[in-house]
Amino acid sequence: MKKLVSAPALFIGAGVFLITGLMLAFWYSPVDSSSMGFSQKIFYYHVPIAETALVAFGIAFVAAVAYLRTQDLKWDRLSYVSVRLGLLFSILVMITGMIWGKAAWDTWWAWEPRLTTFLLVCFLYAAYWVLRSVVDEEQRRATYAAVFAIIAFINVPITFFATRFLPEGLHPVVISAGGTGMEGSMFVSFFISMIGMTLLLVALTRRDLAIENLKDRVTDLKTSLGG
Amino acid sequence: MTIEEGVKYVAAAYAIILAVLVIYYFMSARRVTALQRDVQLLEDEAKRLQAPAGEAGAE
Repeated sequence: MKKLVSAPALFIGAGVFLITGLMLAFWYSPVDSSSMGFSQKIFYYHVPIAETALVAFGIAFVAAVAYLRTQDLKWDRLSYVSVRLGLLFSILVMITGMIWGKAAWDTWWAWEPRLTTFLLVCFLYAAYWVLRSVVDEEQRRATYAAVFAIIAFINVPITFFATRFLPEGLHPVVISAGGTGMEGSMFVSFFISMIGMTLLLVALTRRDLAIENLKDRVTDLKTSLGG
Repeated sequence: MTIEEGVKYVAAAYAIILAVLVIYYFMSARRVTALQRDVQLLEDEAKRLQAPAGEAGAE
């Protein structure tokens, strides 16, 4: 498939949107009038990173299903790369969430629905990595990993809807059926950061796929050379 | 919470995000470069090994 946008252009685009979003968050969007105050500024990257992590796990799920249907290893590579990036973004969400929690509610951690389900997502996808590392044969590893990625994904919508179905927790609902609950300038900054983070996920996914393809090429060449 | 109190938390959060993303970006870029170099070396080696075999076959 022909590449529509070059990798450097995607990284540059992501950088432009992320920097613009950050600048708007601090100089255009007002300081939150609720109890969160200035610490609410963390929101402009925290939420886009969280949404992007869930999108990455969604891609891993779709690629896992595609692999089981076709047995084509390109889908396994996409699933693996998406889980890796999803996990990276999830760790950032956990860290920034804890900092925000300390600033807004004076606690690093609370066993409430959103935080607990998100932590579970992190553990599940960390286990996905462990599973891959213990199976040597390529097709068998891909099959086990695909099945695991599909099962692990069940927790993603649970995490997303946790605050909507169980609203008594600390974590606020940002985007609901009733709207975003943000004023216009806040939404603009958030939306631009969201675009930037999505572009970054696409750019990193493409680069990580290139890495996996190159690793396969090295293995093939070494095998053909008898090494 | 005052702005002065909130600044350190906000700064810490953004510093961690940017540091992790920038480190990952450069690490993956280095990995691509190293793997491309490995592929090039191995392809050259494969060509070098094939060349005498091809010459011997022509004779």
